[in-house]
Amino acid sequence: MATVEYRGMNLIVPENDSEWREYLKAAREHRLVMRRCAACGLLRHPPNHACPWCADLRWSWQEVSGRGTIHSYEIVVQAIQPGFREWAPYPVVVVELDEQRGQPTPDEGLRMIANLVKPDFTPEWEDNVAIGKRVRVLFQDLAPEIALPQFTLTDEPAEGRTWRLT
Amino acid sequence: MGNLRDKYCIVGVGETEYSRNSGRTTRAMAVEAIKKAMNDAGLGPKDVDGMMSYQQNDSTPSLIVGPDLGIRLNFWVDMVGGGSSTEALIGLAMGAIEVGMCRTVALFRSMNGYTEVRIGGTGARAAAPVRGQELATRPYGMTSAGQVFAPTFMRHMHDYGTSSAQVAHVKVAHSKHASQNPKALYKERVTVEDVLNSRWIVKPLRLLDCCVETDNATCLVVTSAERARDLRQRPIYLMGVAGRVSKPRTDFPWAHGPLSRVAGYYAKDIVFPMAGIGPEDVDLTGSYDAFTFTTLLQLEEYGFCKKGEGGAYVSSGIIELAGKRPNNTSGGHLCEAYTHGMNLVIENVRQLRGLADDYCPGWAEGKHSYDYSPGKCRQVKDAEIAMNLGWSTPATGSALILRR
Repeated sequence: MATVEYRGMNLIVPENDSEWREYLKAAREHRLVMRRCAACGLLRHPPNHACPWCADLRWSWQEVSGRGTIHSYEIVVQAIQPGFREWAPYPVVVVELDEQRGQPTPDEGLRMIANLVKPDFTPEWEDNVAIGKRVRVLFQDLAPEIALPQFTLTDEPAEGRTWRLT
Repeated sequence: MGNLRDKYCIVGVGETEYSRNSGRTTRAMAVEAIKKAMNDAGLGPKDVDGMMSYQQNDSTPSLIVGPDLGIRLNFWVDMVGGGSSTEALIGLAMGAIEVGMCRTVALFRSMNGYTEVRIGGTGARAAAPVRGQELATRPYGMTSAGQVFAPTFMRHMHDYGTSSAQVAHVKVAHSKHASQNPKALYKERVTVEDVLNSRWIVKPLRLLDCCVETDNATCLVVTSAERARDLRQRPIYLMGVAGRVSKPRTDFPWAHGPLSRVAGYYAKDIVFPMAGIGPEDVDLTGSYDAFTFTTLLQLEEYGFCKKGEGGAYVSSGIIELAGKRPNNTSGGHLCEAYTHGMNLVIENVRQLRGLADDYCPGWAEGKHSYDYSPGKCRQVKDAEIAMNLGWSTPATGSALILRR
């Protein structure tokens, strides 16, 4: 069982939890991976054991680019977990990856939850967080077999108009 | 429900004091709330043979509470759940009675939601190990309901231009209602400015956008219309119910958009046809207000206004007591107490009876002034049909339509 303490929380990955063990291990190798359905070919996140669209049980890991766009976000001002208090205010972002946007229906996409961080893994300034801004994945190494995928802003132009809470 | 419409009724309601220091166990509170609901209905221990509750490992189960009251149970179930469980369990109670497993069900929720297990996810919940599916969110400091739901409303603001000032009107309206409710924990009326000046919790939500965690127990008694006719109170008929209707991908709701869409989008197509009515027929609503925006999003999704126009709708005065279709006339979760939905149904039952327990001296005889100034009346005049919109998450909700 892989386990690590991160901001006062014990992250636990039992041996039998192949979906998260392999996902986090790939992250530790600085690869962002998704499960791809062997039948319909669609990627999915988080990792699970059946295809959300065709229910096929066969899959393989597929590396993705880790590039995407901020689809929505929040700024946590009052942290709940004690280990996050010194980190607040911090952004939590919903990132829509470039792969599989608007598939298989226009309302869907390959989306992830993460923090928006600066390259040193401190929280990005609130004024820099906006829907529509471009991001790329970073890997926050925590243990020999565990890293957390995080996201950081890129220099690419934003997609259309950006929007933030003012 | 089809042929079950109007065949079942809510015949009794009861609750403990809403407080932040109950000083009692969930067992003691549950017993009091159930006893009050039985008294309200005019039922004794031999008349109740079914019991249901919902809990999050924070309560006392039916098989303890029932015998405390001398009730021998023919059916009981304690379901894991929070918001949206009330309406779902009412539907299941009807089914249990319909198939003959029992005759009358007491449905309760008992929680020391402030002094023991904070729903907001602080204390022991925050310190719990993170494994499995939780690894997709909690390591990023996304734990509490507010943190999990906030991106949904942020996206709504982006998509439709909904403003913080607009949604603040939900708190303003509910605080006005609470000022007419002796049971409400927060009776003071607040303004839009008060909401906008309160401190940030998780942007776009401020403190006064969030409900008030409390200690309480609440109970509803459900039985057949046939039995209901002989009981103490005017029966309140169940016209339609939808339980825990969900968006796709409840495992990770952000995967399926539009993010600003909530489960009522699907539930409305079950509950309205079952009841044979539409939103325009509803006199008052109980749209779950865990946060100000949960009320807004559901009112939109069920068709009380057009999708995207919820901001204008909630700030128009329509949802206030003097308005066309008041919402959460008890003050709701934002002001009366957070009960995971029970008090919102209890309030609608009292409204339909014409017996809102306000400050009118003759409320118990149904004598109301309809003066909605502070500390006065909160009875909706001639309320015939009420609706509850239960919320679990943006992805799961329940609905209930009641008539007198």
